[in-house]
Amino acid sequence: MRRILAQTRKELTQIVRDYRTLSLALLLPIFLLLLLGSAISLTVDDLPIVVQDLDNSSASHDYIDAFRASVTLHVVPWPVDLKPEDALTSNQARGALIIPVYFGRDIARGSVAQVQLLVDGSDSNTARLIAGYSSQITQAYNAASGGVVRAQPVQTAMRFWYNPGRSSKKFYGPGIFVLGLSMFPPLLASLAMAKEGEQKTILQVYVSSISAHEFLLGKILAFMLVALGEAVLMCVLLFTYFGLNLAGDPTPFLIATVLYAFCVASFGVMVGAAIPSQAAALQAVALGGFLLVFLLSGLIYPISNIPAGLRWLSNFIWGRYYIEIVRDALLQGGGWPATWYKVLEIAATGAIFYALAWRTMRRMQVKA
Amino acid sequence: MKKFLHRLFNHRVRALVQKEFRQIRRDRRLAISLILPPTLQLLLFGFALSATVSNIRLGVVDDSGTPESRELVANLTESKSFQFAGSYLSVDKLGAAISRGDLDAGVVIPYDYARDLYRGNPSTVQFLLNAMNANTAAIAQGYAQGVIQSYNQGLAAGGIHASFRQIAAADVSRRGIVSLHPAYLFNPGLVASWFIVTGVFGLLLILNGSIVASAAMVKERERGTIEQLLMSPAGTYEIILAKIAPLFVLLFLMTLFAVVVMETAFHVPIQGNLLLLLAASGLCILCGISIGTVIATFSKSAEQAQLTSFFVNPPLSTLSGAFYPVEGMPHILQSLTAFNPVYHFVVISRASLLKGSGFGVLWPHFAALFAFTAVLVVLSVWRFRKQLS
Repeated sequence: MRRILAQTRKELTQIVRDYRTLSLALLLPIFLLLLLGSAISLTVDDLPIVVQDLDNSSASHDYIDAFRASVTLHVVPWPVDLKPEDALTSNQARGALIIPVYFGRDIARGSVAQVQLLVDGSDSNTARLIAGYSSQITQAYNAASGGVVRAQPVQTAMRFWYNPGRSSKKFYGPGIFVLGLSMFPPLLASLAMAKEGEQKTILQVYVSSISAHEFLLGKILAFMLVALGEAVLMCVLLFTYFGLNLAGDPTPFLIATVLYAFCVASFGVMVGAAIPSQAAALQAVALGGFLLVFLLSGLIYPISNIPAGLRWLSNFIWGRYYIEIVRDALLQGGGWPATWYKVLEIAATGAIFYALAWRTMRRMQVKA
Repeated sequence: MKKFLHRLFNHRVRALVQKEFRQIRRDRRLAISLILPPTLQLLLFGFALSATVSNIRLGVVDDSGTPESRELVANLTESKSFQFAGSYLSVDKLGAAISRGDLDAGVVIPYDYARDLYRGNPSTVQFLLNAMNANTAAIAQGYAQGVIQSYNQGLAAGGIHASFRQIAAADVSRRGIVSLHPAYLFNPGLVASWFIVTGVFGLLLILNGSIVASAAMVKERERGTIEQLLMSPAGTYEIILAKIAPLFVLLFLMTLFAVVVMETAFHVPIQGNLLLLLAASGLCILCGISIGTVIATFSKSAEQAQLTSFFVNPPLSTLSGAFYPVEGMPHILQSLTAFNPVYHFVVISRASLLKGSGFGVLWPHFAALFAFTAVLVVLSVWRFRKQLS
C-alpha cells in the first residue's frame, strides 16, 4: 500500500511539473465543456426566411406578420424581381414562402388558399424543423383569423418531461462532461506509461521491489485522482452555467463516477503499456477515447439511428453507459432501477482494461 | 510562367522533394494516416451520425379500452415514427417505465374517450415525451400532432363515427384557410448523411493536413537532421517549398479519394462545379499544412506537437458547423465562426455540392478562406525560418 501511494505521488509530481500536461488536465476539459456545451444544438431558432408576396393584400400581410412574430423564424427582405430559390442557393435564407396571387380573394371567399414553402433540404434536420414550425404558425393563423376552423375531435396535450424548456444545453452538457473524462485522463495516463517505456525508466521499475500490480495501481490511482478532480471542476460548471440539478438518487452517479475514473485510467495505462511510443499511444487514445465515445455513445445523435451493422459496436463503448448514467442522474432521476446494470458494465470494462494492462506489463518484463 | 516555375522548382528543390517523398513512403505510420483515417472517418461519421427520429418507443395507457381508442393507437404505431413498446395499466407505471428509460414517449387515452366522440364532444389525449433530448422531443411532437391531425380528418370524413360530422361540418360563412405545402429543395429525400459528410469532409482536410504536416515537420527537429539541411546549399524557401509540396500533393490525392467515397458510399450529388470545390480544397489543405507547421515550430517532439494540437483542433471543429448547424449556436459563437477557415470551407462544400451555387455567390467565403490561407502560410514560413536561423 505504501509503495502504491509513493508511485501515485511520483506521477502527480510529474504532471504538475509539465505546464502543458497540467493545463491539458485541468483547463482544457473546462474550456471544451463551455465551448461544445453551448455550441451544440440541433434545435435551431431565428432562421432566416424570405417571403415573396405576389398578392400584396391585407390578408397576405396578416399572414406574413404571423411569421414575423415567431421566435424561430425571421423574415429577411428579398427583392420581388429575384427568384426566391436564389436566396437559398446564396445561403441568405433557409426557406422561402411564396404567396400566390388571389390569396386575399380566396381567403375572403372562404376557400382554401394554397401557399408554397420552399425549404433548403441540405440540412435535413433543420429542414424538418422549418416545415414543422411553419405549419404550426399556419395553424395558429388559421385559428386566429377566424377561418373555417374545424373543431378537432381529438386534441393533444403534450407534456415534456425532464427537460420542460427543451434546452439543448441541459442535454449536451452531461454528454460533453463524459467526453472530457473519456479523453483527458487516459491521454495523460497513456503518455506517462509510454514515457516509461520510451525512456527505458521501466527497467528501473523492474529491478525495484515494486510488483506489477502495485506499479499499475499506483499509476491508475494517480490518474483516477486527476479524473475525479476534472469531474468535480466540470460538475461545478454543470450545476451553475448549465443549470442542472440532481434529479434523483445521486448514489449511482457517485459510484459510477469513481468506477469510470478507474475505467478510463486503466484504459490509458493499458494503451501506454501496449504501445511504448508516446506519439503513437496518443493517437490510439485519441481514437479510442475521443472518436468512439464521440460517435458511438449517443452523445449528439441517438444510438438508434446508427445502422445496425455498426450499432452493436456501441455496446462495447464504456462512455455510452456513463453518459446514460449522468443524464439519468441530472435529468431523469431513474436511480438504481434504471442504472444498476450500466454501473456493472463500467466496472467490468475497467476490470478488463486492468487485466490487459497487467498482462502486457508481465510480457514486457519477459522481453526486457 | 514556365521559366518562373522552372526556377521555383530547380534541381535542389527537386532533390529535396524526392527526399521528402521517400521519407513519407518509409514512414509507414505517416503514409497510413494519410489515407486510412480520412476515409474511415468519413464513412463512420456519415453512417453513424444521423438526427433522423424514427421508431420512438411508445407506451400506451388505454383507459377507454374501446375499438375507437385501439384505432387511435393503431394509427400512431403503424407509422415508422412510433413503435408500440408496451401497454400499461396506470399512468404511474407508464411514468416509471419512461424514467427507467424503457420508453421514449407515452400516450394516455382517457376512459371517456369513445363516449365523448360519440356525443360529438372533443376529447383530449395526453402525450408524455421524454424531452431530455430537445431535438427528438421537438420532432416527436410534430409526428404525434401530424398523426392526430390525419386521424381527425378521417373522423370528419365519416366512417364509423358518423355522429361526429355534426361538429366537424365546415362553416362556409366564415373566412377561408391557408394550406401550406412545404417542398424540400436540394435534398428531397432529406438524407441526413449528406449534411454530415459534406461538413466532415472539410474538417478532415484541415485537421488531417495539420496532423500530418506537424508530424513531418517536427521529425527533422526531433532527429536533429535539421542542421544537415541547413548546411546544404538549399535556401530556406527551397527547404520549405520542398517540405510543403509533397504533403500538398498527397493530401490532394486524399481529397480526390474522399470525393470518390462521398460519391460511391453516400451518393452525394455534385450539383455545382467540381473544380470550384477542388480549388477550395487546395486552399484548405494549405491552411491545414500551415497550421501544422506553426504547431510544429512550437514543439520539440512529436508528442508535444500532438498535445498542442489538442488546444487548436477542438475550437476549429466545434465552431465549424460540420456536425450541427451553425444557426443553433449562441450568437457570440456564431460570429466567431467567421474566423474559422473550416466554417468557410464547409459552407462552400455544402453549397456547391448540394445546391449548385457558383462562385458569384460563394466569393466572400473564398475570399475569407484565401485570406486565412495567406496569413497562415506567411506565419508558418516566418516561424519556420526563425527556427532555422
